[in-house]
Amino acid sequence: MNKLQRIQPLALPVEKVLIPDTKSFILSNEVPVYMIEAGTEDIMRLEFIFRAGLVKENLPLISSTCNMMLSEGSQNYTSEELNRLLDYYGVFLNLTAEKDCAGVVLFFLSKHIEKVLELSREILFRPVFPQPELNALMNKRLRWYLVNREKVQNLAIDQFFESLFGKNHPYGHQVSEQDFENIIPSQLSDFHTKYYTPGNMAVLVSGKIHNKTEELLNSYFGNISSKEIKIEGAVNFLTDNAVRKVHINKPATVQTAVRIGSTTINKRHPDYPGLKILDSVLGGYFGSRLMKNIREEKGFTYGISSSLTSLDLTGYKVISTEVSQKNCKRTIDEIYNEIKLLQNVPVKKEEMSVVRNYMSGEMVRMFDGPFALAESFRSTWEFGLDNSYYYRLAEKIITIDPDEIKELAGTYYNIDELYEVTVGSE
Amino acid sequence: MVNYRRFLLENGLRVLVHEDKSTPLIAMNLLYDVGSRDEDPAMTGLAHLFEHLMFGGSINITDYDTPLQLVGGENNAFTNNDITNYYLTIPSENIETGFWLESDRMLELDFSPKNLDTQKNVVIEEFNQRYINQPYGDAILKLRPMVYTIHPYRWPTIGMDMDHIKNIDLEHVKSFFFSHYAPNNAILSLTGNIGYDLALELTQKWFGPIEKRAIQPRNLPAEPLQTEERNLTIEKDVPSTALYIVWHIGPRNSSDFYTLDLITDLLAGGESGRLYTKLVREKKLFSEINAYLTADIDPGLIIVQGKLMKGVDIQYAEESVNEVIKGLQSKNGINDEMEKVKNKFESSTVFSNTSILNKAANLSFFELLGTPGLINCDVENYRKVSHGMVIEAIRRYIIPSNCSTLKYISTRNEI
Repeated sequence: MNKLQRIQPLALPVEKVLIPDTKSFILSNEVPVYMIEAGTEDIMRLEFIFRAGLVKENLPLISSTCNMMLSEGSQNYTSEELNRLLDYYGVFLNLTAEKDCAGVVLFFLSKHIEKVLELSREILFRPVFPQPELNALMNKRLRWYLVNREKVQNLAIDQFFESLFGKNHPYGHQVSEQDFENIIPSQLSDFHTKYYTPGNMAVLVSGKIHNKTEELLNSYFGNISSKEIKIEGAVNFLTDNAVRKVHINKPATVQTAVRIGSTTINKRHPDYPGLKILDSVLGGYFGSRLMKNIREEKGFTYGISSSLTSLDLTGYKVISTEVSQKNCKRTIDEIYNEIKLLQNVPVKKEEMSVVRNYMSGEMVRMFDGPFALAESFRSTWEFGLDNSYYYRLAEKIITIDPDEIKELAGTYYNIDELYEVTVGSE
Repeated sequence: MVNYRRFLLENGLRVLVHEDKSTPLIAMNLLYDVGSRDEDPAMTGLAHLFEHLMFGGSINITDYDTPLQLVGGENNAFTNNDITNYYLTIPSENIETGFWLESDRMLELDFSPKNLDTQKNVVIEEFNQRYINQPYGDAILKLRPMVYTIHPYRWPTIGMDMDHIKNIDLEHVKSFFFSHYAPNNAILSLTGNIGYDLALELTQKWFGPIEKRAIQPRNLPAEPLQTEERNLTIEKDVPSTALYIVWHIGPRNSSDFYTLDLITDLLAGGESGRLYTKLVREKKLFSEINAYLTADIDPGLIIVQGKLMKGVDIQYAEESVNEVIKGLQSKNGINDEMEKVKNKFESSTVFSNTSILNKAANLSFFELLGTPGLINCDVENYRKVSHGMVIEAIRRYIIPSNCSTLKYISTRNEI
């Protein structure tokens, strides 16, 4: 074929993302509800979010266990009945317990809205935490834990969080085998009463929303009231570790897990959109510098990436990879070299265009369809932000200049302040 | 309902188009009818390594990823026993860049020696990360050669031996390309914000001029009928003992595929599945247990795998699994459970079809099976399964002479 016929099509600028409006209202008991109408199929996504994450723990594992036990038996249904009914109505239930928030997400055909709300109320506000189910869960979780502790990447990230946030803070505490034996139902029910309350809750609905949703939400959830309970809150002092480099010896492993990073600003900070772009350049996508250098140039690893995460009390950035032991030292040196390069040499115009356009495309994907829309909404709502955050990010993607990226790299990637965790055989 | 239209280019490329105007994006899925089953037994892992090489530049384009990122696109690919599948999503205004990129690497690759060396290392690290450096990661490597004696499914997609990967040279790579990568061995699906006419025009423009190639005929040895039970026990320093029980089934196109799929859903579809209810919840023999079909095009497998609770006798655990499966033949409560898994299947199909990428991948795969219409009658086929069919399938497949068992014993002092 004639080469000349295969001319590269013109790259058109990706159109600016248009985010559909969110409708909001409150239930009779003042629970906020957010609704995003989107999609072509008669399906819905319903999320109940509570400020009941890891950060509220006064006892290791209590937040995740409380969350996982929600569907293990309620006042009106046994665990088996609840799970059978959810399956019978074709409902997908995700229980989520993260560092700050916890809750449930349900995916279902819109026509089943009423049944789903009835079961959700049982799960969220009438759980009974039965002892046999708790024993089974903790046994199971202990098995998972033991398997996870065999994996270098899990050992590395657990140690990384401890180094960043301190072993006594829920963000950084590493669980131990004994922790799985200590939890009793009354502690779960105390935690539940304190944190799974209407005052602590928000509801997020998206999809092709059933026209009775508002009315039904009010009738199932609008008359629930919060109860006062006195249990001790979590210790909320973040304390970073003085030791910057930690190696954990894990004999007989063929790869070493590497985690390098530190605490940083979160979404509420005006520099965050710029930092997000810097993070992309460094390791946030397939064409990033770390991927190109460590995987595509040197073939040291199957994958390397960097990421930026916002938490309520702080934020963190981390570079993650698994490499063969013999290439570990060189990989780490190269990671620091790439950071120094960003601090000293402005990103060239061509690379800036790639990152700008890739990220603009990402923004289109972040608002494509009812599920993506809900997740994007939630990840700003959590920080008290609204869609203006995304418009600022979209604007920054187009306007940021290479000098600003260089400055951000200097400000936020001080190499002396980075933690370095490695796990592998010595 | 997923409405779609098909057309065939003169060079043999099959094309399917489904328009969905609710999204600003287009998904493009290009399936090549080549997988690890098409490999030389002395050079396993080549199909998957080849997938990596497809990103290293083509005849007119030095680098695949950058121009795609430059127009806001994102892409990935996977290889399995049967197929190699490449996919991307892109804002619709820039779809032509997708055509330019995909057609160029179908036309010819760059075949750079440096890229080959690098990607061989990347694949070896992938092997280490997924199969060696994970507890139980090598179970599937042990299972396959026990279950398949001559069919190429006896080796994993990544390759049975990393020495095979090390020995691959550029000549092997080139010959693999010209005998498997061609318009007449590929299926292109386009879904999302693209109309039929534009799809047709762009496909003609970019793929039309690529000539047909002589595809290496597929002549795979059929796996002989298994006639007696097979057992393998290995001991490893892992946290708990694991059990894998496997039975042969028919090919993806066989009439009882949906029955078997429904059986695995009765057994392990969610927390209300029978295996979970009976063996995790009630008898507390396992900490987790799962059942699934491999869904291969050639005769595949049902796999049940679970991790045992401490102190449980593995023989007893194995018998209990069999008892639960046999229990599906009893009428007791079965109708409600069948209705439940059918509802769940329907719901999960509706959810899967909200994604343009899933729709594109499904259209390509079902076209490969010769039945693109399956995208709309999957649910109907599944709903047709009766209890009689379940009983019949269990009698036919869940028998000792068709069974292989891997006992993965923990040598650790159990906690």
